Amino acid sequence: MLKHGYGGRILRIDLTEQRFQIESLDQAWIRPVIGGRAANTKRLFEELDTDCDPLGPDNILLFGVGPLTGSLLPASAYYTVSAKSPLTGILGDSAAGGQFAAEMKLTGFDQIIITGQAESLLYLLVTESGVEFVNCPEYAGKTVGGTTQTLREERKDYSIQVAAIGPAGENLVHFAAIVSSGNRVNGRTGMGAVMGSKNIKALAVKGSRSLEVADTLAFLSEVQKIEKNIINHKEYRKRYSLGTTMLMKDLNSIGILPTKHFQEGICKYVDKISGQKLASKHKVKNKSCFNCNVHCSRYYVVDGNEAEGPEFETLCSFTSRLGCSDLPFALEMNRYLNQMGMDSISTAEVIGWIIECQEKGLISPDDLDGLSMTWGETDKIREVVDMITFRRGIGDRLANGATKLSESFGEEAKKLVMQVKGLDIICGDPRGIKAYGLTYAVAARGADHLRAEPYFELTNRKEEAKKRFGTEKAADRLAEEGKAALVSYSEKIALLTDCLTMCKNIGLCMDILNFENISALLKTGTGIDYSPEYLEKILGDHINTEYQLNRKFGVKRKDYTLPERFQKEPLKEGPTKGSTVDIQRMVNEYYKIHKWEE
Amino acid sequence: MIRVDISKCTGCKRCESACSFFRTGRINNNLARMKVLNLYEIGIDGPVVCHQCKERYCDCCPEDAMSTGSLGEVIVSPTLCTLCGVCEKACPIGAIEIFQGFVYVCDLCGGRPRCVEVCTEGAISYEAGENEHPSLATVKKETKRMNTSQKRHSYLKKIGIELRKKWRKSHA
Repeated sequence: MLKHGYGGRILRIDLTEQRFQIESLDQAWIRPVIGGRAANTKRLFEELDTDCDPLGPDNILLFGVGPLTGSLLPASAYYTVSAKSPLTGILGDSAAGGQFAAEMKLTGFDQIIITGQAESLLYLLVTESGVEFVNCPEYAGKTVGGTTQTLREERKDYSIQVAAIGPAGENLVHFAAIVSSGNRVNGRTGMGAVMGSKNIKALAVKGSRSLEVADTLAFLSEVQKIEKNIINHKEYRKRYSLGTTMLMKDLNSIGILPTKHFQEGICKYVDKISGQKLASKHKVKNKSCFNCNVHCSRYYVVDGNEAEGPEFETLCSFTSRLGCSDLPFALEMNRYLNQMGMDSISTAEVIGWIIECQEKGLISPDDLDGLSMTWGETDKIREVVDMITFRRGIGDRLANGATKLSESFGEEAKKLVMQVKGLDIICGDPRGIKAYGLTYAVAARGADHLRAEPYFELTNRKEEAKKRFGTEKAADRLAEEGKAALVSYSEKIALLTDCLTMCKNIGLCMDILNFENISALLKTGTGIDYSPEYLEKILGDHINTEYQLNRKFGVKRKDYTLPERFQKEPLKEGPTKGSTVDIQRMVNEYYKIHKWEE
Repeated sequence: MIRVDISKCTGCKRCESACSFFRTGRINNNLARMKVLNLYEIGIDGPVVCHQCKERYCDCCPEDAMSTGSLGEVIVSPTLCTLCGVCEKACPIGAIEIFQGFVYVCDLCGGRPRCVEVCTEGAISYEAGENEHPSLATVKKETKRMNTSQKRHSYLKKIGIELRKKWRKSHA
């Protein structure tokens, strides 16, 4: 029986039969995957019928935490939700921070496995003793905030944490999100639609168990080292005051801030929409995930609108990416999307793609029920986002995502969808960050930076690059050389971060986690031996598991690529001018490192 | 007493975790003597902790298990306490709670509160000595029929709404 770190139990919920079962977590099963994302993927690999309808009863929806989640370890505040994605049809997963994971941890369940489909809308309340199925037809159509508030009021308990879907999830928008802690979003790959398809409005957790570590003092000392590294980090002040929104100006300064749907990499009005502007004008205080000492999140108030966030992705998605220069509009969209439960990146991609295609004459308003849009039209964008949320009019087709929508149009239009494996690309132009480009191409859930977060290539540490990856070029953002090695290393630390359910800003961007310190944390935390060598091996094995699972979903070598634009069209101005991505060179090298066959 | 400035609180719960961890070796918010609430509906976060109020509402123990220490802190005698719950009911802000056979209330860590040490934001501070302790008479009336969690929520919301008004005024 696992006693330290782990809760040591798994909760299986069958919605069709409204039954649950508590199983003990087997050490031999969990050790090679640690927890969180890898444990979820392993479960899918073992139990999911890969041919199932992602929005049908056979899909498996998983909530997972790690052995040190909710401990004193800073930012160990994430949980990972996994299932087959309705957006991409392949492996789907998405993590979120905030307060939900720490509370889930105290229920004593390391993983919650949800199968079947409820007949009508209900919420689940998970406690130490199992789950309560609560019918809640009156919750239909409620926002995330409204759901959370009503549920807590009804239960007369404000320590309950809630992961809910909004109207978008109920309406099965393919990129619907799950939202917890008010504004913490499991945004990517449509996990909110899976939850909606199962008729779960919310998963509420209320814990009463304790988290104990194996060697209290030794664990504390390891934690204090991490805390010190965070506080003394050279980017600490900047991250504290701006969080990820610092990237607006940072990316713009190197010419890779997606502008007008990746047609440009420099946004001339960046000062009007920057993180600095947000912090000085609208921020009222810092916000934080459970037990973190970075406090990088922010709360803002503007013109009667208020929320936590936005993170860089949402900010960029609803400003430069769509040619908008109105910061309060982006803040309004942040709140709206979080309340409605919808992914900002995929929402902005479908809109940006339509605008570009209409600008190029590839799609006419007649093709889209009279819809006509141009850059920066905030009123129109607001209206379209609302139509998507409720699948109203043309919104019904847009709600399936840009990739599926593009299937009814010509080749030229299809090529302009900024996606890999059906998942829309994040805000960062790969022509100026090649390791990120490779990450988008190879990430198991589709175009995604968080699978490796190779921020190292932006840190200009040439000597360190040579030492770690065999070439100084690994620290040169414009080079392809050494990037397969960098990504192959970073993807393991990213996975490790996801298994511990920690934060990538700390793990990778601040370069604070490595095999050695995690080995010590896991050993002192769980009492189970995790040598750095063993960690490296199991993480490599797990990257293979994800690869094999995606093969079962039908993913092929040809799907490891980038949109043609990034390979052929150079950016026209700025510090990334002239650069394109030789993606196949990097992918081939990456395949070689993984010993995967073509 | 422990002073709370919710305008600086980020809701990280480091204080709550430290309280639980340094006193019991375990993490569990139920074992903490201060409880942090996240009021998502109004964007307010903050810990609710014993103020050693002027009225000493909890000092109504039928078993005489309650006493006041040299720092002004509430002391519960584990030998006299029968877990009857009278003190928990009496506290207007939900700062005393019984959990699994033990009464949890802030005892100021003997003058060196661990919560204050781990707060990186200056949202909580410790003032030693016989300062003025706040009166909770108004709150007492408002939270009369509430359970402990509701009392904490109501109290924090009351302070939070004032802060939010300020935000709205300065960021109109």
